[in-house]
Amino acid sequence: MGSDNTDLKDFKLRPMKCECNYLSKSDGSAILSQGQTVALVSVNGPLDIKMTNQSIEKATLEVLFSSKGGKPAIGDRYKEHVIRQTCETAILGSLYPRTGITVTIQEMEDYGGFLACCINCTCLALLNAGLSMRHTFAAVACAIDELGDIQLDPAPAQLAAARATMTFVFDSRNKTLVCGFTEGSFSEDAHSEALERCRSASQLVFDFYKDIVSKYSYVIG
Amino acid sequence: MKVSVGDVVLPGDFSEEIAAVGEKGKVILGPGLRKEVDGIYITKAGTLKKRAPNTFWVDNYQKRYIPARGENVIGIVVQKAGDIFRVDVGGSCTASLSYLSFEGATKKNRPKVVNGDVVYAKMLVASKDMEPEIVCVDSHGKKGRLGVLEDGFVFKCSLNLIRKILNPECPLLNSLKNEWPFELAAGMNGRIWIKANTMRETIALGNAILGSEYLSNDEIKSMCTNIASILAGHIS
Repeated sequence: MGSDNTDLKDFKLRPMKCECNYLSKSDGSAILSQGQTVALVSVNGPLDIKMTNQSIEKATLEVLFSSKGGKPAIGDRYKEHVIRQTCETAILGSLYPRTGITVTIQEMEDYGGFLACCINCTCLALLNAGLSMRHTFAAVACAIDELGDIQLDPAPAQLAAARATMTFVFDSRNKTLVCGFTEGSFSEDAHSEALERCRSASQLVFDFYKDIVSKYSYVIG
Repeated sequence: MKVSVGDVVLPGDFSEEIAAVGEKGKVILGPGLRKEVDGIYITKAGTLKKRAPNTFWVDNYQKRYIPARGENVIGIVVQKAGDIFRVDVGGSCTASLSYLSFEGATKKNRPKVVNGDVVYAKMLVASKDMEPEIVCVDSHGKKGRLGVLEDGFVFKCSLNLIRKILNPECPLLNSLKNEWPFELAAGMNGRIWIKANTMRETIALGNAILGSEYLSNDEIKSMCTNIASILAGHIS
């Protein structure tokens, strides 16, 4: 269940490599590398959870983020929140009422664009777990440097020189914006240009998902 | 994205083919498909399949069991609560099994079932809003192949593997049954119970089943002969 992807189009993302079902015990798992950035995600669910956390109309989603050091920081909690809300829009929670779905993300290597890598890896893990979803989602990161140039999927050197970094998440149906995460200062025009470029680049990520799924679909059939 | 039967599909894709058939007559939507106001959408990643005349579903990879009516499952009794047993079937909550739903059971003649027993049962009620209910008898009150599984060995696998080995076209069980005698019960919840004469044979059987997950039919056949020859070589 492994694959890699390099493209020759205008929109260049760092090469992506993925292995689904990386963990044997969890219901769904995936490890994804985008360039040197690596994230590992495990999905468990639908599970039985405490009565107090149960929702009678939809599944309760829990996202746990573990950084490399293991100590949770405030920034990590914020990332958890972003990822949880992204997943909630995608998962058809109403099909699994009174249950819980746990998504655990482990940081392996962070060489820029880590949030995007986490989100893409989460999507692959959810696909692997076989949970019903409205749509898939793809995240693309970009950096804006001092001159106002937009760099897709930035490497650490480009991030250091960047004035602002942005991560956008799109759904697979109409490529509408699901979630945006920005840091730094930038103009409104730069934001909208970055948004459009990321939107176009997200197609590469969706193609990659299809590639991965088709690779293992033929084997299990 | 628009997809048709036989394609690899991802959640969010839609099928106009199914919608067109649906306008003419009844269509059965299986797992992984969902009707929305503006069409039929895919909800799982896998291959879109069709069975004539008009049943559609998505064949996807999955390990977690979602209870479905009429499926045979292997459960473990975890609790006795008055009239019912609570049975863990691997779903999000335990299933209930009434003590009267065994062959020949009456109020006075209770079946001998204790915590930790493995039962092979049929899903009678399965809905997302209710606790699933399982029974160990068919509609005639006969047990058939259902009931408590004595001895043997239970292991877990993916739901795809169960469907694969139960498929009549899969040569695995046909090849193995000619090599050495064994008993096997496969639950649609991803659990397999096996029983053979010796520990060695049980292990060989378990490995053969788990090893066949990503193999083609020809590869399965050669693996079975291979395992059988290793087994025979050591015993004799």
